[in-house]
Amino acid sequence: MNVLKINGTEKTFDSELPDTLAALLEQLSVNAETVVAEVDGRIIERSGFDKTELHSGQAIELVRFVPGG
Amino acid sequence: MDSLKIADRIFNSRLLVGTGKFASCRIMAEALEASGTEIVTVALRRVDIENKDDDMLSAIDRERYLLLPNTSGARTADEAVRLSKLARAATGINWVKLEVTPDPNYLLPDPVETLKAAEILIKDGFVVLPYINADPILARKLEDAGTATVMPLASPIGSNQGLKTREALEIIIEQANVPVVVDAGLGLPSHAADAMEIGADAVLVNTAIATADDPVEMARSFKLAVQAGRMAYNSGPAAAGKKASASSPLTGFLTDL
Repeated sequence: MNVLKINGTEKTFDSELPDTLAALLEQLSVNAETVVAEVDGRIIERSGFDKTELHSGQAIELVRFVPGG
Repeated sequence: MDSLKIADRIFNSRLLVGTGKFASCRIMAEALEASGTEIVTVALRRVDIENKDDDMLSAIDRERYLLLPNTSGARTADEAVRLSKLARAATGINWVKLEVTPDPNYLLPDPVETLKAAEILIKDGFVVLPYINADPILARKLEDAGTATVMPLASPIGSNQGLKTREALEIIIEQANVPVVVDAGLGLPSHAADAMEIGADAVLVNTAIATADDPVEMARSFKLAVQAGRMAYNSGPAAAGKKASASSPLTGFLTDL
């Protein structure tokens, strides 16, 4: 089974996993321009999204800026 | 007004503005403009996968404002370092407002973890602006560690109480060789002017502007108060005394004629 832990929640993929982080963001309809990612604790810069291959069991954090003081 | 230098950058405004709690992005953008600020703070949070339409950065002109990410939500040095690195990856710049606040009720900063995080981040090339309690010894230690500023609180975040830490702030200001940015608890323009009059180099305001009935007009008020306070400080305020000191001449009264 293909599972990714995205922002703390396990998500099961019935079909194949998205090939790359960029493909995952597209599938989730998340604008990659405004996001920073961690895969298993390693920071992935935006320029590396389409080179980062995904594998079942990985923990992915997707963060972005929000209003704050 | 004289300019402010933080690390290697020069700013004409001495008012930093937080972007939290505004009713809309449009009001935030208008308030930022009215405030004259050049540095705005933002936080970093998980993307809400169910609600992706939460991008507020588009409302902030990155050419005009230096984006200063904070590490709010961090309860330990390690969490603050992790958030700082994510923020650097997001902005491409290495400035960070360091906040480590494990206490949920008063959001008071943890001095031990803050100093520890500052040391790690400075070694990693960050420009660190730490949010601290008004503790002169901690301020000195952070400055010695290489922070770009110190940011002591006036009173708890969002409490609008003004300068409850005045005596300690005065000691920090007297001793500091880096800019002192009074952060948190400034509820009125008079509080901001108060901080500037005692020699703060800048202030950071968020709640007082964002939650006013008219945030844009309040932003303008804070801009003017910060300018007035700085000008007063630079003018060398007259000393306070207990007895009256006549402003008018004490000779030539009518009875003498």
